Amino acid sequence: MTSTASIAADFTARPTRGSVVRFVNSHTLPLLLAAVFIASAISTPDFATFANIRAILINTSIVGIIAVSMTAITISGNFFSLGIASSTVLAGIVFLAVSGLTGSALAGLGAAVAVSVTLGIMQGLIVGAGLNPVITTLAVGSVIYGLVAIATKGAVVTAGSVDVAWLATWNFLEIPLPVYIFVLFTAVAWFLTEHTLIGRNIHLLGANRATARNSGISPQATTIWAFIAFGVGLGVAGALNASQLHQMQANDLAGLTMDVIAAVLVGGTAVSGGEGSPTRSALGALLIVALGNIMLLHGLDNGWRVFLVGGIVVVLVVALHVLRKVSTR
Amino acid sequence: MNAAKEFFLKYSLQIVVLLLVVGIMVMVSPGFRGEAALFSSLERLIPLGVIAAGLAVTMIAGEFDLSVASMAAFAGAIAVQLGGLGLIASILIATVVGVLLGSLQGWVIARLGISSLVFTVGTLILLRGATWLATDGVPVTLTDYKLSDALMVRIWVFTPLSLTTIAVLAVLGIFLSRTRWGREISSIGGARQEAVASGVKLRSRLVLAFAISGGCGALAGALSSFRGGSATPDGLANMLLLALAAVLIGGVSLTGGRGGMINVAFGIAITAVLAAGMSSIGVKAFVTELFTGVLLLVVILLEFAISKAVAYRASLQRRRPHLAVA
Repeated sequence: MTSTASIAADFTARPTRGSVVRFVNSHTLPLLLAAVFIASAISTPDFATFANIRAILINTSIVGIIAVSMTAITISGNFFSLGIASSTVLAGIVFLAVSGLTGSALAGLGAAVAVSVTLGIMQGLIVGAGLNPVITTLAVGSVIYGLVAIATKGAVVTAGSVDVAWLATWNFLEIPLPVYIFVLFTAVAWFLTEHTLIGRNIHLLGANRATARNSGISPQATTIWAFIAFGVGLGVAGALNASQLHQMQANDLAGLTMDVIAAVLVGGTAVSGGEGSPTRSALGALLIVALGNIMLLHGLDNGWRVFLVGGIVVVLVVALHVLRKVSTR
Repeated sequence: MNAAKEFFLKYSLQIVVLLLVVGIMVMVSPGFRGEAALFSSLERLIPLGVIAAGLAVTMIAGEFDLSVASMAAFAGAIAVQLGGLGLIASILIATVVGVLLGSLQGWVIARLGISSLVFTVGTLILLRGATWLATDGVPVTLTDYKLSDALMVRIWVFTPLSLTTIAVLAVLGIFLSRTRWGREISSIGGARQEAVASGVKLRSRLVLAFAISGGCGALAGALSSFRGGSATPDGLANMLLLALAAVLIGGVSLTGGRGGMINVAFGIAITAVLAAGMSSIGVKAFVTELFTGVLLLVVILLEFAISKAVAYRASLQRRRPHLAVA
């Protein structure tokens, strides 16, 4: 009797440590985000205004869409892409050029997504065969950058007289379209990764490649799907960004790659694969952009922003790693 | 004679690629000849060669240090601002800072068992931010321009810059292949569990590998900033791609263990000749980056195909005796 009680007590007591860890693990980011917003609303007079929050959301939408779409790659155990900036610039330039030719921004958007998805499939084929994803995307990214620079001769590309700005400025309740697209994107990505077969395959592939293969999941096909999702995100984000700026050139968006990777890492998606979710990457992107905004309001320059983002990435990556180690012990 | 034959056999692929690149560059560029060509190629060694050498050490140990380019930019910013202390002193201080930061990175990675790819992408961003802070976001120039003259003295086709690179490669080459600690670094890349089981101190060797890559990155950044007379907050960012390309083109394995400084030297030579030849025909830097990217893709695809072929052959050989029994 006593022994069963003690065993039962032991059994019920055991997961407590795990659940504390799980609580911290899954709530760190929302809590951190809330703390940052509350602290800055109190300390920074211009922060909690509608115009400023709107600006944060608009800026988050581009980084966020890409971060959300890259999450599938990270969960599948393929780390991250180091070719984000040049791929996004390519999508933006395709969007502007095709919009300018056809006179329709929607045709431009379709072309941008088609080009990005094609490039995604190509990289997915290479990475799916077993090549290192970081090196592959870095090499492909530099090839894309070189080709874009040659094709545009380094000049600024515009859509001519065609109106492409409506894609970025059309608004509902004072909130412009990119923000809604970002929210929709996050919702769809969440549904796809959590509630569909392909999403589960992506999780399993990242958690344990050998087991995934033994249970009949094709690593190649799964990796290609992840890269297709990434391609859609890059295409949409590139088109939206080009429509915000009305123009694009090869050297644009230099800091984007690091912002997106930071958003995914801060979101807490395990880079070893198997764990994570697009919604967390979306929150990670929001945190990164909000921090940049606060720095700007306090008159601190880009250096502080990059330094702080780097610091948060390092600290959170280490903290989450230690937490996971504790919870699996 | 036998040793020479062995050398040519072992590095045949790299030798062929190097000769091809030299041949193509000499053909397409009328000005790329003799001493001038050799000099302009050797001048590409800073910062590329030293950064690649450092990166290679971590790759041979089976890890990645993605922060090398940011480390170089950060050290460059420090070195230029310490210029008042004199040339040697400021370069030394910057390099020591690099070694210390590198050891710290290595210690965290080794102590926590965290993926070096993930940790160093964080420090890549952190050190870039530190570079912005150290330069106040604007290019910092050397106050005493004559200070760097000593680095530009030309001795036949060499300058102190290219000689430093060659010295670094030679020292690291001897260290990795002839000393116990160096061999242990290669062993933790090739077969980590076996190495640890036979008594290699994993943690301190990882710290050593990252200290070397930090120090190399910093040295390269300091020298390169002195040559240019300035350090910019966003400088040297493309060095990660170029150094990675050099190391992989030289034949250092992505998964660790295989390859040494001779491989790295070949890789650096190939990318340096490519870059120098391209710029001699007036091609813009982004075209060179495009070609480097293509070359890198070709090399990793080739290495992948070869490793698959080797594995296939090994599986055939394993099957043969089994079939004979059946």
